[in-house]
Amino acid sequence: MKAMAIHYGRLLLSSLILFVVVLTVLFLLLEIAPGDPIQNFVGDVPISPAFEAQIVAAFGLDRPLWERYLVYLGNVFRGELGYSFGTNEPVLELILNRAGNTLAIAVPAFVISTTLGIVLGAIAARTRKRWLDGGISAGAVALFSVPNFWLGMLLIIVFSIQLGWLPTQGKAPYGQDGIDIRYMVLPVITMASTELAFKTRIMRSSMIESLGQDFIDTARSKGLPSQRVLWRHALPNALLPMVTVAGYSLGFILAGSVLVESVFGWPGMGLLFVDAIQRQDNQVVLGVAIFLTITILLANILTDITYGIVDPRLRAQFTRKAVVK
Amino acid sequence: MTTVQPTPSPEAELGLEEPLSPDAGTETLAVAASGGARRNAAWRSFLRKRSVWVFLPLIVVLILISFVGPYFVGDPVSAIYPKLLPPSSEHWLGTDNLGRDYLARVVYGGQVSLIVGFSVAVLCLTLGLVIGGLAGFYGGFMDNALVKVSEFFQVLPGLVLALVAAALLGSNVVIIIVILGVTMWPGVARIVRAEAMRITKLGYVESAKAAGFSGPRILWSDVIPNAMPPVLVATTMTVGRAILVESGLSYLGIGDANRPSWGALLNSAQAYMQQAWWLALFPGLCIFLVVLAVNILGDAMNDALNPTIGRVK
Repeated sequence: MKAMAIHYGRLLLSSLILFVVVLTVLFLLLEIAPGDPIQNFVGDVPISPAFEAQIVAAFGLDRPLWERYLVYLGNVFRGELGYSFGTNEPVLELILNRAGNTLAIAVPAFVISTTLGIVLGAIAARTRKRWLDGGISAGAVALFSVPNFWLGMLLIIVFSIQLGWLPTQGKAPYGQDGIDIRYMVLPVITMASTELAFKTRIMRSSMIESLGQDFIDTARSKGLPSQRVLWRHALPNALLPMVTVAGYSLGFILAGSVLVESVFGWPGMGLLFVDAIQRQDNQVVLGVAIFLTITILLANILTDITYGIVDPRLRAQFTRKAVVK
Repeated sequence: MTTVQPTPSPEAELGLEEPLSPDAGTETLAVAASGGARRNAAWRSFLRKRSVWVFLPLIVVLILISFVGPYFVGDPVSAIYPKLLPPSSEHWLGTDNLGRDYLARVVYGGQVSLIVGFSVAVLCLTLGLVIGGLAGFYGGFMDNALVKVSEFFQVLPGLVLALVAAALLGSNVVIIIVILGVTMWPGVARIVRAEAMRITKLGYVESAKAAGFSGPRILWSDVIPNAMPPVLVATTMTVGRAILVESGLSYLGIGDANRPSWGALLNSAQAYMQQAWWLALFPGLCIFLVVLAVNILGDAMNDALNPTIGRVK
C-alpha cells in the first residue's frame, strides 16, 4: 500500500507542477501579447490621464511582473478566472454554463470511438480475410487524414441540406431548452471520427502484438478453443495500451470540440472559446484554456489509476514493493 | 507525470521504436556494408508497394498544381464573374460568393497550406534532431527536460495553445509556422531520442568513443545519420498533421487574412453550404488528399523499414 501511496502522491504532485507551468506559459503569452490593455478595456475611445491612472491602479498594472504573476496564480487557485470583457459575467460561470453541453457530445463520442475502435481493431488484427483487414486499415488511414470539421460540413450538406433528415445547427429547436437528440447525431459522429481511426490503428497493432506472444502459443497448445484464446487471453492483454490511449484521447476530444462545435453551432465550451478569441475577450480565452487543462490533467490521473487497477503486473509491483519494505 | 506504464504513442504504434534489425548489437566492422544493403532493400520494398505508385505521383501533382498552377489559373482576387456559379466547363470549380473564380482560389490556397505543412515539418525535424539527439545521447538533464516538455504539450493540447497564441500574438504565415513548430516538435524529438539511445549502445559508437572522438562529433556523424530512417517517417507524418492543424486554425478564422489557405476557404464556405456545396467540397478534398498521401507514404516507408512489423501468420 505504501508503494501505491508514494506512486499516486508523486503523480498528484507532478500534475500540480505541470498545471503551474501551463499557467505560467499562458501568463507570459498574455504579457508579451501586443496591444495596450487599458485601451483594450475601455474600447476605441480617447481617455483622460486621470481615468487611465484610475484603471492602472484598479487592475494593479503598475505593479512589477512577479507580483502580478503571483496574484494571477492565487486567483486561479481560488477559482477566480476574472470577468468577461464583453458581458462582464464571471468567466467561471460562463464556462460552467457551457461545460455540460460539451460533455453531452464529448462523452458519447468518447464511448463510441473507444468501443468501436476496439472491435474494429481486433477484427482487423485477427481476420484471415485480407480484404477485411485491408478495408478496415485503409478506412482508418482515410478517417485519420480527413479534417474532421470538413467531414462535419459534408455531413451537414448531405444529411441536413440535401436529405433533410437532421437539423443543421444548434442543440434544440429555436426557443427550446435542453438538448434534442436529433441535434446530437452529426456532432457526435464528427467528434468521434478522428479518435475512432486512431484507436482502431492502435488496437490493431496491439492485438497483432498480443497474438504473437508466447502465452498465446501455450494456450493454443493446451488445446483451448481458438475463440477462448482470442477473447480471454489475447484481448485483455491487447487492451492494456488502449487504457492509456483512451485516457489521453479525452483531451484530444475536448480540444477538438473547438472545431466541431464551430461547425454545428453547438453552444459548448469550444464555441465559447472561439467566440472569445474573435472578440479578443482574453479573460475568457485564458479561462477556457485553464479549464481544459484541469480536465485533461484529471483525465490523465484517472487513466493512471485505472491502469494500476487493470494491469496485474503493476498491482503485483505495488504489493511486492510493500512486502519488501 | 511519473507513469509506470509504457505510454503508447502513435510512433510506438507504428513500430518506430523497434530496433531496425534484430542483430543490430553485433555489427561493428561490417556496419557500412550491411547498412547500405539494408537501405537498398528498404528502398526496393518501398518502391514495390502499389500504394506508393498511387500516392507519390498524387502528391507531386498536387504540389505542382499549387506552385505552377498560379501561372495558368488567372487572378484569385478579381471579382468579375457572376456570383455562386456551380462548377462548369468555364469555371471548373465554380465561383464564390463574391464572384471570384474558385479554381484560382483553391490553387493559391494550396500554396499556403503546403508551405505551412512542409515548413513546420522542417522546423520540427531541426528541433527534434537537436533536442532529441542530445537527450538520447547524453541522457540526464536534457532527457528529463524533453520528457517534461512532451507532457506539457499533452496537457495543453497543441490546437488550444496555438489558438491562444495566435489570438494573442496575431497571425500571419510565419507566426503560424512558428507556433505549430513549437507545439509539434516533441513528437519527432521523442523518436530521435529513442533511436539515439538505441544507437549509443551499439559497438561502433563504443569504438568511436574509445578512439577518442568528441561527443558532439559522434552524435553528428554516427548517431544522427543512423537514426534518420524512422525520424524521416515521423517527419513525413508531421507534414500531414501540420496541414490539418493549420486548416483547423484558418477554419476558425485564425490565419493569414491576406493569404487564404484551404482552411480559410472552408471558413468562408460555411455560410454558403445551403446554396453552394462546391465551396465546401473542393478545398476540403484537397486537404484530405494531401494529408492522406503523406500518411500513406509515411506508412509505406515505415513498413519498408520494419519488414518484421506486419501481420503475424
